[in-house]
Amino acid sequence: MEHNWDFATIFTNWRVYWVGLQGTLLMFGVTATLGMCGGLIIGILRYIRHPAAAWPARAFVEVFRNTPVLVQIIWFYYAFPILTGIETSPFVAAALGISLNTMAFSAEIYRAGIQSIDKGQWEAGKAIGMDFAQTMRRVILPVALKRVLPALTNRGIEVFKMSTLASVVAYVETLNQAKLIADLNYNPIESYTAVALIFFVVLYPVVQGTYALERVLNRSDR
Amino acid sequence: MEWNFAPVIVSLDLLLLGLVNTLKVTGLALSLGVPLGLILALSRLSRQRPVSMVSAFIIEFFRTTPPLVQLFWFFFAFPILFGINMTPFTAAVVTFSIQSSAFFAEIFRGGIQSIDHGQWEGAKAIGMTRNQSLRRVILPQAVKRMIPAFMERSIELLKTTTLVSTIAYADLMYQANDIAQRTFRPLEVYTVVALIYFVLIFGFSQLSIMVERRLAKSGEGTVG
Repeated sequence: MEHNWDFATIFTNWRVYWVGLQGTLLMFGVTATLGMCGGLIIGILRYIRHPAAAWPARAFVEVFRNTPVLVQIIWFYYAFPILTGIETSPFVAAALGISLNTMAFSAEIYRAGIQSIDKGQWEAGKAIGMDFAQTMRRVILPVALKRVLPALTNRGIEVFKMSTLASVVAYVETLNQAKLIADLNYNPIESYTAVALIFFVVLYPVVQGTYALERVLNRSDR
Repeated sequence: MEWNFAPVIVSLDLLLLGLVNTLKVTGLALSLGVPLGLILALSRLSRQRPVSMVSAFIIEFFRTTPPLVQLFWFFFAFPILFGINMTPFTAAVVTFSIQSSAFFAEIFRGGIQSIDHGQWEGAKAIGMTRNQSLRRVILPQAVKRMIPAFMERSIELLKTTTLVSTIAYADLMYQANDIAQRTFRPLEVYTVVALIYFVLIFGFSQLSIMVERRLAKSGEGTVG
């Protein structure tokens, strides 16, 4: 079938997309920050294997890694308010779901990074009189973080794509805005193609950047 | 707040039906996505630059765009563009096959590239063509190394299929939405569904960890 591509309505409505992209960026910023900072704490808790911390940390990671993000978002939107009496806005529900999921995934990345550090580093830290927290902060983490940087950036890319799931609970982000335009102008082809292109244009350079980063890190390790 | 699971238990057969549909989409997307991924990987490794560039573009495009956007595109835009009718089921299978094939392609590529170059030379030395060495020497070894990454990706795919509920395909998530709306019991319904997903995915994860351990013992590292 012949289709006359008409991107004119997309360009005249660029403000609608712009509002959506801002929503996407806000969601990404909040969830990536919360997820990766919280993940570091949980990752360390997973590493130290303290009896009081190990079990809850493991349960947290398993629950949020082994359930789909969409289920988590919907649960926080529809079920959580009934359970606690706290109303969750679309933003809060989506941010909770994506952040907790990201925390669980990045916790495992941090843990792997910390575990990959040679035992001798711990002993050296202890030998010059540092306690656990000091050794962790000054010796172990700087090296471990460098090692997990590629894995973390990959997670970040996943988080950015995950933000589209917030549209399911009607949070205003790029995909949600495209849906609006498609319904108003009857142009689903152009409006959804535009979203795909927006994500591609934003993420493609980032992905290329991670490849370059990996190469640089590989070289500096040797 | 009082928990009341009776409405969920009454609708258990509907949830089960949803679960079957979830597994159906996952299985089909997997069985189409893996061969497609191999084709994409081989063309990306091809020595003809146009072929390799086109497949690199396809892989990067489907890896960098959100699966939900792809699903909407294949469900709402694709049928108008090509005059084909798309049921939610076909749209889901098409989307997730292509989406996961892009990820599988990268796993294949990693696996193939991880095989020592001497293996290619050895195959060439005994007179095999490039295709023969790939099929008889390289792939058998590469695939074994790729198994853990494959399993991880398949679990991701299983989780991603929840998105089909947004285009009204009756998977487990969609059934949950439906039952929650009819019974006014979202707390119980969504909690039970989260549990079902957890049991399913946790089971697969444990299985893949077991397989990975066994492979590690037989002297094969992981790729991807």
